[in-house]
This record gives sequence, C-alpha cells and structure tokens, in this order.
Amino acid sequence: MRWQTALPTRNNLRQSMRNRLATQPLFDLSKPGRRGTRLPKCDVPVQDLEQLLPAWAQATEPPGLPEVTEPEVVRHFTNLSTLNMSVDTHFYPLGSCTMKYNPKRNERLAGTPGIVNLHPYQPEDTIQGMLQLLYELQEMLAEISGLPAVSLQPAAGAHGELTALMVAGAHFRESGELRTKVLTPDSSHGTNPASARMAGFESVMIKSSESGFVDMDDLRSKLDEQVAVFMITNPNTLGIFDHQVSEISDLVHKSGGLIYLDGANMNAILGVTRPGDFGADMMHFNPHKTFSGPHGGGGPGAGPICVNEALGAYLPVPVVASDGEHYRLVYDRPRSIGQVRSFFGNVGVLVRAYCYILSHGPDGLRRVSENAVLNANYLLSRVRHILPVPHGSRCMHEFVATASDLKKKSGVTAMDLGKRLLDYGFHAPTVYFPLTVPECLMIEPTETESKETLDAFAEALFRITEEPAELLHETPHSTYTSRPDEVTAARKPQLKWSGPSGTDKKDH
Amino acid sequence: MNPEELLYCETHEWVSITDEGGSKTATVGISKFAVEQLTDLVFMELPEPGAEVAAGDEFGEVESVKAVSSLYAPVAGKILEVNHDLPNNLETLSEDPYDKGWIIRLAVSDDSALSTLLDYQAYQKQCAAEE
Amino acid sequence: MPYIYNTPQDQQDMLEAIGVSSIEDLFDQIPPEVRLERPLDLAPAHCEMELSQHLSNLASQNLHAANSVCFLGGGSYDHFVPAVVDAIASRGEFYTSYTPYQPEVSQGNLQVMFEYQTLICQLTGMDVSNASLYDGGNAAAEAVLMAMSATKRNGKVVVPASVHPEYRQILETYLASLDTELVTVPADDGATALAALEATVDEDTACVLVQHPNFFGSVEQTEDIAHIAHQKGALLIVAFDPISMGLLKRPGDCGADIAVAEGQSLGTPMQYGGPYLGIMACREKFVRRLPGRIGGETVDRRGRRCWVLTLQTREQHIRREKATSNICTNQGLFALRAAIYLATLGPHGLRETAELCVQKANYARQQIMRTDRFSDAFNLPTFKEFVVRDQNNQVASMLQDAANQGILAGIPLQRWYPDLSDCFLVTVTEQRTKQQIDALANCLANAQQPTAIHA
Repeated sequence: MRWQTALPTRNNLRQSMRNRLATQPLFDLSKPGRRGTRLPKCDVPVQDLEQLLPAWAQATEPPGLPEVTEPEVVRHFTNLSTLNMSVDTHFYPLGSCTMKYNPKRNERLAGTPGIVNLHPYQPEDTIQGMLQLLYELQEMLAEISGLPAVSLQPAAGAHGELTALMVAGAHFRESGELRTKVLTPDSSHGTNPASARMAGFESVMIKSSESGFVDMDDLRSKLDEQVAVFMITNPNTLGIFDHQVSEISDLVHKSGGLIYLDGANMNAILGVTRPGDFGADMMHFNPHKTFSGPHGGGGPGAGPICVNEALGAYLPVPVVASDGEHYRLVYDRPRSIGQVRSFFGNVGVLVRAYCYILSHGPDGLRRVSENAVLNANYLLSRVRHILPVPHGSRCMHEFVATASDLKKKSGVTAMDLGKRLLDYGFHAPTVYFPLTVPECLMIEPTETESKETLDAFAEALFRITEEPAELLHETPHSTYTSRPDEVTAARKPQLKWSGPSGTDKKDH
Repeated sequence: MNPEELLYCETHEWVSITDEGGSKTATVGISKFAVEQLTDLVFMELPEPGAEVAAGDEFGEVESVKAVSSLYAPVAGKILEVNHDLPNNLETLSEDPYDKGWIIRLAVSDDSALSTLLDYQAYQKQCAAEE
Repeated sequence: MPYIYNTPQDQQDMLEAIGVSSIEDLFDQIPPEVRLERPLDLAPAHCEMELSQHLSNLASQNLHAANSVCFLGGGSYDHFVPAVVDAIASRGEFYTSYTPYQPEVSQGNLQVMFEYQTLICQLTGMDVSNASLYDGGNAAAEAVLMAMSATKRNGKVVVPASVHPEYRQILETYLASLDTELVTVPADDGATALAALEATVDEDTACVLVQHPNFFGSVEQTEDIAHIAHQKGALLIVAFDPISMGLLKRPGDCGADIAVAEGQSLGTPMQYGGPYLGIMACREKFVRRLPGRIGGETVDRRGRRCWVLTLQTREQHIRREKATSNICTNQGLFALRAAIYLATLGPHGLRETAELCVQKANYARQQIMRTDRFSDAFNLPTFKEFVVRDQNNQVASMLQDAANQGILAGIPLQRWYPDLSDCFLVTVTEQRTKQQIDALANCLANAQQPTAIHA
C-alpha cells in the first residue's frame, strides 16, 4: 500500500500524474498487425526477388522488431523523455562536462537543408558553402588555441586524444626516436591513459602535489628520453590553473617530448590564455562542452585537434584548404597518419560550434569564460561554508568539494548528497572523480546560470547536510525510480528485453 | 586456514605453503580486508591450469560494480588448480576468504619471493594505514 | 551576451561575496607571461538574425539532397526519415541531457539505451549490443581490437578489398602503432576471393572483417567466410547494412562473432558525414570485451524494474589504461533516432523498405546498362548499390556534368581503387522514384564526351 497520507505528497503526486502504460518496454507494447508507417507502391517494374538476390543470402522472415503505431511511438518516447533531467529543464552542475545552455538557434541552423542534407562524397564544387564553414572553423580553432594546424575529424574528445597521440607516434617514428611512454597526471580523465595505450604507448602516472598541481619532483624523476608525450589538463580537473605549466613544458621539451593539452576545461580560458602560448604542442577541443553542442544523452560530441606547425603534416586526411576563393579537400598529404573515422567528421556538431563562436565574437568568448569563472567562484564562496574545498578558496570554472569529513562523522557519502540534490530538483555534481579527492563533489555551474540558481543550489546543499543520515542513505525519494540495484545488474547482466514480464503490469 | 599463520602480499593476496616430499604447493587467495574494501563483488576472471607465473605476475581479476583489482602471484610456479566454483558463487569470497574462497594452487618453482611477503602482524599494520 | 544572466549589479554582488574587486582578479592563477594581451582575432559577434542570414548564404552555395537527386551512397545514404524521428529527438529532455550517471533522473535515456540494444540484437541476430560507438568505421576498428584481445592474437588482421576503403584506412591508422599486420585479400570480381582468403588466414590471424553487402553493393558469401575464419580459430566480424536486414540473413545467422554497422541509415540525416551511429553487437561470450556504454535492467529499492549503466569496469573511467577502449561516450541521440526509426518501421516496414531498395537499384542498373557506353563492373547480385564501368573512361567529367544538371549520379572509385578508375558507384534508396531513375539513366546516356567539348 503506497497511499499513506490523504494529501498528495510530492512523491505520490508524481505517481498520480503518471501511469506506466506508455513507458512499458517497446516490445511489450507490440501487437501483431500494428503499423507505424506505410511505404509507397513500387513504381518500377517489380522483379522476382529470387532473380535479384540468391536464396542462400535471403532471410526467411524480417527481424523481430516491435509492431507499434505512430501515436504509440510518440507517447512512449515522449513519456520516456520526461524521466530525464536535462539542461533545458534543470541546473546540471556536472563537473568536467560543461553542461551549459544549448542555443536553439544552433539547432535550427544546423538543420538547414543546405547543411544537413549534404552527402559526404559530393563533388567539391557542390559544397563550397560547407567547405567555407569548415575552413573558417579550422581558422577559428587555430586562433583560440594558438596552435596553427587543425583537424576537424576526431569524433569525440577521447578520439581527439587518440588521434593526437598517433600524430605524436608518427612524428617520433619519422625522426627515428624510440619513445614509448606517455605521462598522465593521477587527476587526469581516464581517457588519457586509455588513449595512450590504444596509440601503442605505455602510460605512466605522475603524482599530484598536496596543493593539486603536478608534482614537479615526480615529473622530473619520470622524465627521460623514452617519454613521448606529457598529457596535461589545464585548468586541471580540480578547477585550478597549474601555474607551473611553462616550467613543465620547458622540461618536457628539453627532454625531447611533446606537451598534449586535454582541452576539456577550455571554458575557463577562452581569450584569456591560449594552450599554444603556454607550451602545448597539441590539444583537442570538446565543442560539445566549450562551444555548447548539446550532449545528446551521451553523444554525439566532436574532438577537433590543433597542433603546432611541425606536427601539422601528420594530421588525418582530409583537411580543408583555400586559395581565398575556392575551397577544397586535401587528401594528398604523404606524412599523414591517415583517417581515424569515416568521412569528414562530426560535422553537425562542428556547425553548432561555428554558430556559437560566431554568435559570441572575440569579446563574447572572453565574457563566457569570465562569467563561467565568476559563477564558479561565487558558488565556491558559498559551498565552502558547507563542505570543505581542499584545494583553496579560489578556482577557475569548477571546483571540487569533499564529503569525507561528513562521511567520517555521520556516514553520509558524496553519493548520498548527490542523490538528495535530485530531490531538490538539481542534477548532482560529478561524484567519485577526480580519483585524487576522496568523497568528492565536482561542481561546474557554467556561465549560463543565474546568481539566484546558484544561491538556491547552495541553500539546498546546506539543508541537505543538516538532514539525518538515515534519510540521506535512502535518497532520492521523489524520483520516478529510486536507487537501482547495480550489483545485481552487474552480476547477472540483463542487456536486452527477454520477453513479456509481469514486473510493470502490477503498477497499472 | 588460520589467517594469522598466512603470508601476505602488499597487494592483499594471501599464500599458504605446504611441502610434500620436497615439492612445495602454494594456495593463494585474497584477504578479508581486500574483499571488504572491494564491497559487493560482481565478477571474477581466473586463469586456466597449466599456466606458468612469476612472482608478481597478474593471474586474474576481481571486480565490484565500480572497481577492478588485479590478482598477483605471490610466488613463482605453475598453476595446478583453479577454484572454478568461485565466479558463480562470489559470496564465498566474502564469507570464507581463507578456506572455501581459495583462488588458485601453484606448484612452486621458485620460493625466493616468500621472504619479501608480510606476516600477519605486518599485514594488519598495512591495512590499518590504508583505511 | 544572449546566454549570460549576470547583470553588472549581479557581478558586483558576486565579486563582493567572493572577496575580490574585479573579475580580472579571479584569473590571477594564470601567470602574466602566458596571458593573451589582445582580443582574439575572430569575426565580430553576430546576432541571431545576422547569423541566420550568414548560414543561409553558406547553405545556398551547396547542392543537397533536397534540391538535387542523390544517387550517392558508400556508407552514407539518403533514406527517408519519418517526421516522428525528428519530433521526438528534438525534445530538449533528450538532446540536452548527458550520459546517465544519475540513473534515477535518467530513466528515459537508459530505457532508450536498453531498447536500442534489444532492437540491434533483433536486427543482427547477435546476443549482446552496446549502446553505440562513433560511426561504422570506428565500430569496425574497435571490433578488430576487440577480436585481437579476445583471441589473444596480435599477428594479423585480414580484410578483403571489398570492405569500405575508409574502414580499411582507419584500421591501417589504428594498427600502425600496434605492430599488427593488416592483410588485404583481393576482391577483383566484386566480392572476397575465397581461395585467397583461405590461403591468408592462419593461426596468427585474430579476425576476418567482411562487409555484406560489400562496398560495391554485392552480396558476400558470409557463411563460407565464417567457416574459413573459424577453422583457424579467428573471429569473423561482419559489417552489415541495417536496411538490408529487411531481406538478408542476419550476421548472427551467418556465423559472425561480432557485427558492426554504420547506423546512419536508421533515421539520421547525412549531414556531410557525421555525427553518425556506430552499431556493434557480439556473441554473449565476448560481452566483457565489448567497448562502449552498456545499459542493463535491474530493480530499484521499491522493487520496480529500472535501468542502469552496467559492466562499467570495462571502461576507461575505472580501468584507465587497461580499459577495453578509450571511448567515453556513445552516440545517444542517434541511438535514440535509430530506436524510433526501427519502432516506426517495424518488421514489415523494414522489409518493404529493403524490397524497394533492391527493386529500384536493380531497375536503375538495368536502365543504365542499356547504353553501350556502360557495363557492369561486376557480375554479382547487389542490394542497393552497384558499380558502373564507363567504357569511355570519362567518369569525373560525366559526374560533374550530371551534378550541373542537379543529379548527384555516383561516387568515382579512382581515389581508392586505381584499377577501377573508369568506374563509379551508384546507390538507389527507396526514396528514388522511377522518374528520377529514368532521368539519371538519360543523363548518363546523353553525357557529352569532354573531348568533344574541348576539341
């Protein structure tokens, strides 16, 4: 029995607005004979299929897809959409992910038929407008990064890392140097060591100092002529700018290595400083973070990379070139590593980035970073009275607080706090990353939030820390789903629909 | 097995050595402390008998929902036997890590690594420091 | 700035609360010597109206599938996208959310992931699907790496020349740093040369990657290829065309160990090459080697069915350098589009779409071949694409002429296959009408010979 009170609480009010008919698994909705679409009659003379395709290649029946009507599809997926928190509906301070507002104009413009309906193998003469856009975007990213050679091809940030490391690998192979190691700080994204491994390098971890910077002694002790690349995230994942960066790059360059900048945190420094100016030889952008491409429930992103002049020769093909009037794709680049994905790249995401950069202009981009940093510092100034922020009273675009004292005192974890924030209508910060801070909450408000929202978030966080531990362990209370049993999910993986089940039928 | 009589790696494996007519057999498992730190275990990957391992080699993995731990051989030898019941009965590891929760048995080929292992007291100290 | 809330007063209040006097002070972590002391050299800010005008100006310089007739394929296709796909995928709750790290407020995305995985398993006949990878070429490369790790064989990867040349190029790039040999088996007759394949696959071979229907549109003898691979303990990876699954046997029914595909056909616009959808599914026993996100079913504390990201220990954020891949995202929005597309079509819609493709492509093939100038490059059954040989060897200028008449007639093969420099690939989807196909055939038949023009 769920109805414990006569008055609707927030919880059962949600329930009363909702039944679970439409959100049953798609396959449970299926009924033989229902159709969601009709196709036209074949307007060419129909030939016997047996004449066209060998019998051994043909299936006896089409795949067992669900049979549903169009309105059913709409109601099903629309109801599912309402079970998500999103930037359009909620404050989403997921650290390291830069969940900023995704401008509607970019969606409309990226959907222009002359942009969205282009085939990737159209002759160059028929896509001059598209090539111009991509060429200009290359130039923009070169200017913002301070690194002149650009490839728009990689499909995501991690893919950009991999591509750049392959570029580095090609460079060292050509120069005859056997460099086998890639250094990554312990606070780095997991993609860094994983990319290094995929590019054929051994990944070596560099410690962080107490204050969250690269531990210079550890770096010095691990830097030798085997080191190909040092991958640095700056501002780093704690939201602080490593002031040693010039010294680091001098050291690495002196030993013949290259500096790679993980551009995940570019939202903090647009127009303020440029990776190429603080010693980076290569970097990637995350246009879905910095330049507002919508995250799409987990993708698509894009991961364009910028490299210095010397490394430019190794970039994937094709790149866009221009003689000032005509734009063309250049494939003839003998030192190129080749392609890292099919076709040109994640153009839809790149078009949105282009629109975003053009919407802002040079002053506007700088204003983005100023306000991202202002919002983060303001929120930090409030949160640090609630939870310790181990790495100082100031930050760049994000900061990392810790619940480790709270955990010792009352057993309340960062996860509990994050889950309770959902009840208050805020998406949780990133928890359990970076790995260097125990019980961490990584908070990135972005510039597209108001002081009022930040105040309300801080207020909620404060109230939560005053709530009893027993309540917090059971949170969230008001969501459609409570905490899932992840252990069972991992022990006995159930990764697809396994036939009609009674589980949800009870709830009708 | 009595945990106080076992030897331990810094990486939390325990080992017990039996000597039958000069040929030494090592039974290897992971400590109760390690099992507790990993929280709810969900998966285990084990080697096949017959493989040769050196001391410090990775021979398998245990996973919880959000962590993976490699298993390292405390001594060198040839894998004689693998506890194949474990992956399907992971609770055995938490309920009985020192007996039914054994993981592999090795025919020891070189026991020189044994001298680098921790005794129970030293291992307890290490655990306290890690907590 | 249109997206920033802070008024000068807000900024002042916030700075006071922080305890600094200016925004500039907030950047004092950045050493002065690395600061940019000038404005970025970029075009000035465009307001929405200016931006729209600029984009529409750029767009107007492009020929596209809506103001021309598109017979281009080769991995990106002009299939019909029902309105319902756009309507649902443009809901902000879907496209402005992120990876479901908080399952309690991401059940929509997680259930879509689970349903997508189920649909892909049904489509491929495989046991398990991930929640998607970047694109078809990337999925093929990841599948090869997965096969290398599953078989513990790093010596050799075997791929026939009939696999998409860009997929092979990606593999070459990926394997360049890994000391694994990529061996290309000929496909001179338009499909894998089985004898050559059999002679190449050996005990060091991790896998064979075959595309079916292949890059030339021809069907491959997948079951025989599976046999050849399996005999030597190698895995078979099949790159398939999702639309063809309406008619053809599924990879899982042909002996594939891993199935991959470019999922763009399933409701995603061509958008000049991306973002697309990398489909990947495999047999149960390889599930822990599968790269990418995976959603799974479980129950919540109230005992209700729900969904979570699962088997996360495979992934980079936990396993770091030992992860199955460095991939961190899936193509959530396009997996959603594929799920809506497949649900809307259903089994019969998919079959009818496939039938229309095969009928129309074969009609087009016959119409084009009526002109003596053209011949079939290969004498094999094809699904929706086929290769035309131009006896006059004037492919580039002929295709240019066709484009001038608003017909994107085909893809020249010279860039990838020097031996086929007199050939081009023509694709016919269910969207092409008889009138358009006849116009294509006419346009090609009447193509001027450039020698005549320039003489």
